[in-house]
Amino acid sequence: MTTSGISRRGALRMFGIGALGMAGVGALGACAPSPSNSGSASNGGDTKSKDFDFTSWSLNEEAARPAIEKIIAAWEKAEKSKVRAVSYPYNEYLSQLTLKLGGGETTGAIHLDIAWLAAVAQMGKLADLGSVAPKGGYTDVALKSGVYDGKQYGLPWNTGSIGVIANSKLLAKAGIKKHPATVEEFEDALRAIKGLGGGVVPYAAATKVAQLKDIFPWMQTFGCTLMDGEKVTIGDDASVDAVTWYKKLHDAKLIAADVDRFDARALFGQGKAAFYDDAVIGKGVTAAQSKDKTLADAMQPMMRPVLRSGDTPQALLWGGVIAIVNGKGQDAATEFALHTTSDLATTSEYFTSRALPPSTTAGLADPKVAQDTFTTEWTEKITKTATGSPFWQFAQNAQIEEAVAKQVQAVLVGKSKPKDAMRKAGEEVAALIKR
Amino acid sequence: MSTAAPPRKAAPRRERTGGRLSNGAFALLLTAPGIALFATIIIYPLVSALFTGFFKQDLRLPGREFVGLDNFTYWLDGEFLTILKQTLVFTVGATLVPFVIGFALALALNSGLKGSGFMRGLFLFPWVIPGVVVSFLWMWIFNANYGVLNGVLMDTGIIDESVSWLGQPGTAMLAVIVTKTWASFPWMMVMLLAGLQTVPRELHEAASIDGAGSIRRFFAVTWPQVRGVASIVLLLEFIWNFQHFDTIYVLTGGGPAGATETFATAVYQTAFKGFDIGRATALGGLWMLLLLLLVVVYLRITERKDDA
Repeated sequence: MTTSGISRRGALRMFGIGALGMAGVGALGACAPSPSNSGSASNGGDTKSKDFDFTSWSLNEEAARPAIEKIIAAWEKAEKSKVRAVSYPYNEYLSQLTLKLGGGETTGAIHLDIAWLAAVAQMGKLADLGSVAPKGGYTDVALKSGVYDGKQYGLPWNTGSIGVIANSKLLAKAGIKKHPATVEEFEDALRAIKGLGGGVVPYAAATKVAQLKDIFPWMQTFGCTLMDGEKVTIGDDASVDAVTWYKKLHDAKLIAADVDRFDARALFGQGKAAFYDDAVIGKGVTAAQSKDKTLADAMQPMMRPVLRSGDTPQALLWGGVIAIVNGKGQDAATEFALHTTSDLATTSEYFTSRALPPSTTAGLADPKVAQDTFTTEWTEKITKTATGSPFWQFAQNAQIEEAVAKQVQAVLVGKSKPKDAMRKAGEEVAALIKR
Repeated sequence: MSTAAPPRKAAPRRERTGGRLSNGAFALLLTAPGIALFATIIIYPLVSALFTGFFKQDLRLPGREFVGLDNFTYWLDGEFLTILKQTLVFTVGATLVPFVIGFALALALNSGLKGSGFMRGLFLFPWVIPGVVVSFLWMWIFNANYGVLNGVLMDTGIIDESVSWLGQPGTAMLAVIVTKTWASFPWMMVMLLAGLQTVPRELHEAASIDGAGSIRRFFAVTWPQVRGVASIVLLLEFIWNFQHFDTIYVLTGGGPAGATETFATAVYQTAFKGFDIGRATALGGLWMLLLLLLVVVYLRITERKDDA
């Protein structure tokens, strides 16, 4: 007999059903079908609205946020409008943006890594900025970074590359007088730095999946083209050699496990790493978070070592564009994007605070930029020979990078042999492209 | 011979409601909002998601293509068993270890130790911290290059070189289980302590008079009394861990090289990193079938307990 009229068995059964419900939600709530408006080319709202959203991963970064907030504040004051700042961490940015954009929640201006442009443009929500772009005075290379399928979807904000940064103080300590030019010299340098002891990680190379795409320039260094026409070449001897070499560095503790860009910057900032991969922006970010106030002066851009003398150093193009979502605030957001990426005073101030070179001819000619040693050396040593990834053209680029990264990681942790892993990676990439 | 008809069975007397609702109608009325909510937020997405499992569908693009059972066979011919094994390793580890710790602490707190009230509050501390925060704390502790654990172990001379706790398949799962244990042992401790407090003191006194030692008393008196609570606690924790996501995702993201991939992380990665909603829902469907089995076990146990 129960006073409430509900038996214990009944209550427990209900509890069980509740648990099942929660299980169902946990398992499948996250997998709800794509929103019904994903087929629409506009996310709705008044395109003439002066108020709009600006989505950027940089607003999530301590070192970058103040500079961008300053640009937004100046715009709001001048235009008497309201810009809502939206942000997600870089590693989660594409997933979050894709979901919100598909769900019709993202409007206005969006900051995109040039590697993601194809994936986002294929959703059919971005405005064609072909009529606006000529007003910006962008360099040809920069302008091309915002093009997908013959249409100008992004206005280039920054165009550069990802390369190797060296700590000249640590190099000097290890008796290394010049930057290593070949893979062999690089390995010798790493061993010399390891000899310094004190828990130094000679090369804070990426070993976590999130940034293991950094392996691509090394694969290219060893002679893998990644793609040859429509054929995926990952899995060829050169890619296997590159991963075998990477594994050798890992096993010799010349690179460390469990490192992504964030960890690499932290290690470099603590003076515990002599080399790491980053974009030109790395100097500003890493030096800002380091306790060593002389670190910025010790940071040097370095040509990626080549397999044989005379080979072309490999580097990956890198940059950001601002794209516009069809819908609410579209016109004002377009003007904002044009202003942010091409107004000389704005780009100059942005460069001063973030050491990010602009994408316009006038901006690059600005004495502040042209006379900055780090930037000019970076352009000369790294950006000059940088190329885009052949996978950027595919909407599945992020999955392709992850598929390769997982296989490389399997090699590093000893779960797979380089040859098997690269063959599997090649097959997975080919299947993703086909799918 | 009597031709009289057998006496009619008295028809069940209908309850007089006097214009009021019958008990059944009243119960239906009470459960209607819950059922409506359940149908809206559980049944509809569930059916819709299960349906999606039969389509090739990209989360970013409009349209989809019917592919029959392809998405299911993709998993069953591929990584399903590996993911199941890893999910079970995590689930069993993250259920049993905190259970043992929680039970030991509950026994200690129930023994009337001085300051047990304060200790109870203190031990609850990990439980009130959000799971993601706990995971970030432990991520920092386990960090290979500047983590606290390596620092302490190196300073004390236990290890010579830093260990990549989260970067090696062997230690990554262990690290994830340790983190989850830290977060969930307080809940188990509280539940078991509540169970222990219902054990009549007289039983212990009688057993003591009969000469039973503490171990004998535990197995003969304490355990039979708390077995019911313990089995419910274990089963619920098992079901929750079978679905657990945040600790694993924050600490390892399912890596390294898939060594800590469970159903939860695999579904998330497939849906929101791979944008392949068809395959993600197919895996979600298979995962749910396994969860259904667990729920059936749960109901059986609770029913048996109720009948006893």
